[in-house]
Amino acid sequence: MVASFAVIAGLRSSGAINEPTGFILLALAMLQMIPLVRAGLAHQRETGHLSPAVLRYTRRFMGATFGYVLGMGLAVMLHERMGLSGPEAFAIALLPVLPVFAMIWAMGRYLVEEDDEFLRHRATLASLFGLGVVLALGSFWGFLETFGVVPHIWAWWTFPVWAIGMGVSQGWMAWRDRAGGEE
Amino acid sequence: MKNRLKVLRAERDWSQQDLARRLEVSRQSVNAIETGRYDPSLPLAFRIAALFEMPIEDIFIPD
Repeated sequence: MVASFAVIAGLRSSGAINEPTGFILLALAMLQMIPLVRAGLAHQRETGHLSPAVLRYTRRFMGATFGYVLGMGLAVMLHERMGLSGPEAFAIALLPVLPVFAMIWAMGRYLVEEDDEFLRHRATLASLFGLGVVLALGSFWGFLETFGVVPHIWAWWTFPVWAIGMGVSQGWMAWRDRAGGEE
Repeated sequence: MKNRLKVLRAERDWSQQDLARRLEVSRQSVNAIETGRYDPSLPLAFRIAALFEMPIEDIFIPD
């Protein structure tokens, strides 16, 4: 899937495909997530790691992710073609942001709905680790930017950086569990 | 906190998955508790004690 995104980005930046084609290909590439997620869930079910809360979270997050891709594609297209500003620009900014809010809500609901206290504990630790990564990198980058060392970056990066931090933390804890001698 | 979960489970010939199913938790939880990487909450400790029909202090031993 990452390779697909890289190829589409390469084709788009080289001008080989136009904007709507790139958007449609990106949306199609996103569909590859479905078998990936299903395989992940099947593995979790087989190894006794799948809780109903994880299933609900995955469905909600997947829905929000598709909404995000559609919203972002539409917002970028509308902005580039129509050059919107003021209230219209505010409205199109909501297109990708509302699904991001839905992703954050899904994560929050997972912490509330997860009955397994150890899984909830791990998810909380991973969220806090992601938050720590955002705060540390954000503060560091902010001062580097203040002193003209690095270019400005958009604030929407906070969410992907937090999610990456959370993913790294979850991966590390899963590895530690396996190394800890799980039967 | 140390615990005798692994021994008690072995005495009954239960796998981690068996114990997890009886406690209605994930197998990861059983593994983390057994290996001492996670101390269960009081309600879960009571559930474990009830399942093995033993007092909590006979299963969990403070360091």
